[in-house]
Amino acid sequence: MKKLLRKEFFFTALPLTYCFILFAFMTMIPRYPILVGAFFVCMGIFQTFLSAREQNDILYTVLMPVSKADAVKARYLFVNCIQMMFFVICVILTMIRMTLFTQSQVYLSNPLMNANPVYLGYVLLVFVLFNWIFVNGFWKTAYNAGRPFVLFSIATFVLIGIAETLHHIPGLEWMNTWNQCLSFQYLFLAGAIVIYILADYLCIRRSCSSIEKIDL
Amino acid sequence: MTAILEVRNLCKKYPSFQLNHVSFSVEQGSIMGLIGRNGAGKTTTMKSMLDLVHPDEGDVLFFGESMKEKDNSVRQKIGYASGANQFYLRKKIREITNMTKTFYDNWDDAEYQKYIKMFGLNENKKLMELSEGMKVKFSLTTALSHHAQLLILDEPTSGLDPVSREELLEIFQYLAKQGTAILFSTHITSDLEKCADAITYIQNGTVISSKPYTEFLKDYPEQNSLEDIMVHLERKPMQFDQE
Repeated sequence: MKKLLRKEFFFTALPLTYCFILFAFMTMIPRYPILVGAFFVCMGIFQTFLSAREQNDILYTVLMPVSKADAVKARYLFVNCIQMMFFVICVILTMIRMTLFTQSQVYLSNPLMNANPVYLGYVLLVFVLFNWIFVNGFWKTAYNAGRPFVLFSIATFVLIGIAETLHHIPGLEWMNTWNQCLSFQYLFLAGAIVIYILADYLCIRRSCSSIEKIDL
Repeated sequence: MTAILEVRNLCKKYPSFQLNHVSFSVEQGSIMGLIGRNGAGKTTTMKSMLDLVHPDEGDVLFFGESMKEKDNSVRQKIGYASGANQFYLRKKIREITNMTKTFYDNWDDAEYQKYIKMFGLNENKKLMELSEGMKVKFSLTTALSHHAQLLILDEPTSGLDPVSREELLEIFQYLAKQGTAILFSTHITSDLEKCADAITYIQNGTVISSKPYTEFLKDYPEQNSLEDIMVHLERKPMQFDQE
């Protein structure tokens, strides 16, 4: 697995995928739907999937002494690592926004989503959609990347729409604050973490089963 | 002699084609030619053997073990090269090799350099910058550099010039003497006349003959060469519209 991971990071991955991690800094943009940054990092990962497909990576990998299931697991771990790099930057920037910029006028008058634990939870939910709809969908054929990505994009923008709407509903304002109902916010984040881990585990299992059934 | 590869009753059904109970075996130190027309099922057979295509029925045993059960250990001992499958065309040969070799326990850098020099490959070139023949040579170099005990070669000589083909056939004979088993599919039947110990003939997904080369020739005493046998078996009268 170590060799496969090395291959994914230093051989298969496009540099663009790493560059797109920097979209985490969108967390600091005021009056902007900052959750879109999570979509962009997934788009960067999508580019690696496309490039790998064009380079015949799957065939190259499974002809070497590795099992097909390990090849799938390695790609998932790569995806998870990129997502976690993005998430860690988001966490740091969210902490900065919640501590150093609490009185900043541009954030105080922000009608859109603020960076707080709920935002971090939503970031993870975008990743759940990516792993479930795109990555898992891709491994059903190990070829078709377009349709799963379009479906993921639609689902993500629906989620972003819901996320940007909910905190305007009376009684749910706590979702967009940085100093109220923090326990609820952390609960939301914890729930998203559990969903992310569970969905990832199920996706890997399903994809490993899919690749054993298809003809390469 | 020990059977390095045993293919038993391999079946695979597609909407317009099917592999029909394909069976043959390749012995240690022998060269087997897998021949047949385009679309006869040679590549599907090889892909099924390598578990890239899922056969509906049948078993494939490498060194007495099933690929499904001992995937990694079996693949360590197999070399595969194809004129058709090309990977990472935009990467340099050196980069591809540096990655590939980490996966093989028996990778031999000296052996690799020997073939790089023999085939005149420039490691700083990208794969896309090589001619088709040179790509096949690189593919073979990789397959030969980890001391594979069985080489599965899908049309390895296609695209090669006559001198390179001659060199390659000599290498095959040398490797066979060292104990390596070689299964290779080809349309260029003259290549097999120079080096094959056995022939498996596949027609419309069915093996019609699999036996030692000399015995195969004896079955067709009126034909002078493998090419004549293939034409004799496959040729159908052409029909042209007549005004």
